[in-house]
Amino acid sequence: MGVIDLDGVEVRLANRTVLDNLTGELHGQAIGLLGPNGAGKSTLINTLLGFHLPSKGKARVFGLDTHKDRAQIRGGIGFMPENDSFIGNMSGVRFVRYMAELAGLPSGVALERAHEALFYVGLGEVRYRKVNTYSLGMKQLVKLAQALAHGPKLLILDEPTNGLDPVARQRMIRLIKDIRKEGSIRLLISSHLLRDIDETCDEVLILKNGRIASLCNIEEERRSNRSFMELETVGATGRFSVSIRGLGCECATFPGGRIKLVIPDNIEARDLYVIASEQGVQIRRMNQRRDSLEDIFLRAMDNDQGRTANGSL
Amino acid sequence: MAVYKRNYSAYTGTVTPVWTRVLVLARYAFEEAWSSKITVGLFIFCLLPCVVSLVVIYLADNPMARALVGGRWQEMLAIDAKFFLKILQTQAWLALVMASWIAPRLITFDLADNALPILLSHPISRFGYVFGKFIALFTSLSLITWLPCLLLFVYQGYSSPQPWAISNLQIAMGLLAGSVIWIAFLSMLGLALSSWVKWRVVATGVIFAAVFVPAGVGAIVSALLRTKWGLLLNVPVMMSNLWQRLLGAPAPISERLSVPTLAIAVMLSLVCLVCVGMLNKRIRAREVVRG
Repeated sequence: MGVIDLDGVEVRLANRTVLDNLTGELHGQAIGLLGPNGAGKSTLINTLLGFHLPSKGKARVFGLDTHKDRAQIRGGIGFMPENDSFIGNMSGVRFVRYMAELAGLPSGVALERAHEALFYVGLGEVRYRKVNTYSLGMKQLVKLAQALAHGPKLLILDEPTNGLDPVARQRMIRLIKDIRKEGSIRLLISSHLLRDIDETCDEVLILKNGRIASLCNIEEERRSNRSFMELETVGATGRFSVSIRGLGCECATFPGGRIKLVIPDNIEARDLYVIASEQGVQIRRMNQRRDSLEDIFLRAMDNDQGRTANGSL
Repeated sequence: MAVYKRNYSAYTGTVTPVWTRVLVLARYAFEEAWSSKITVGLFIFCLLPCVVSLVVIYLADNPMARALVGGRWQEMLAIDAKFFLKILQTQAWLALVMASWIAPRLITFDLADNALPILLSHPISRFGYVFGKFIALFTSLSLITWLPCLLLFVYQGYSSPQPWAISNLQIAMGLLAGSVIWIAFLSMLGLALSSWVKWRVVATGVIFAAVFVPAGVGAIVSALLRTKWGLLLNVPVMMSNLWQRLLGAPAPISERLSVPTLAIAVMLSLVCLVCVGMLNKRIRAREVVRG
């Protein structure tokens, strides 16, 4: 049983298919949810929380059906929404206590945990201030505190670093790493920032147009010893990329003559120079490096069809 | 700044039963409503007619006072269904003022700060959310309607020289039923309208308008079509009819303004259904994407 099981999940909103046949099992301690805007990340999170009923298929969290058992699932989830979502005229500690009580903590314990959670995220000194007087970074942190206070089994963070300055972002990333290291909470982190996912997650689900474009273990991908190369070219880049695909390379082209390649073992850099010379293309820069999440993401985005079938690891 | 590093620790204690989460919502909503000094001021103001009525009951049951008050004032000191109907009507309209102040406080803060995604991500349903707010509003309005009215009834029963309470039990039942119907209706209307208006002041105005503007429209309909069914849009007249019948008081209004009880019940139920529809549309964790 995975943390999240998706079995042919389809979600339709306003006669539009937003999630299309998602199938896969997510097992990671920290699962990243990546995708461009409109890919269906937030819809998937809302489906897991039981806000949307799948029109086809089933989604499960810890083996519980997201529709039938939604009350039980919500009891074990801490959710930090993407947008501003709080009660502005309450003090920080009262707001977090209220949320903890709604999650099922007795009143006295909820108050104690609210204080602890606010100190943990770094809002201890401002916990008696009204939430609507907080800065954007503080509001993100108070949302994290309310998601943590009741000790959830799964913490869902929707764009946790949205709108944060570099210092606040670093603090948020450090907190997420801390929570992950503590080990009692599984994390599902939705973001369009590759760096955030790269730093915090061990598994990633990439969505594109409501479909699974990739589902992979980041560490395993990094260990797969694939040889990556970045080229900067001038000339007929399109024809050149077709030719190097003919050699067996996986290739993605970008504006400005940039090409990213995955090179098979039997191909050397010299072979690329030969083709470039034959086609009158200048190679201005060649950079060989190891796999990164960015490459995984770009490959997934390059695959127009998306992955519709089995996404199990 | 904290002087030592704090670590996260998981919660391993007991959790409360799921059904009690509605009461958590109701408790926080009640506290929110009564945290304003204006609410407390309004509450005191709403109890003033009850204090006056209490004095009247005292005088009516005091032989010396009755002897001192002569002539037509004797009629004013008659404690009967008509007397309690007046109290109920006064308290009911004060309840409208109270509801139009409190209801927006319960809902608009949550909507203005987009708190619904966080609130509903907890083990509480949309029905539970609305029900929790309803309990808070209903309880607040109870404090100025059926509770003081019944206390006055009990006081009259206690201080009357003749056995009075048993023979006038219909008045007590009428006070309770009439108040409960009215404040339940007001609570539904207040919550539904507040859920559609983000600004509290506007929401207050809209609640008043929702009660009185249709009454004007109803009067126009009645005049143009030469029918009395336009009165079904007139909440004050409908409720006066209902209260008078529940308390068994003599009809204070002409036959021309009389509406069948069944029609009143159907109309109130219809309005409540519309309110449920409005709340169902608005109280969501996410906006439905259009197009």
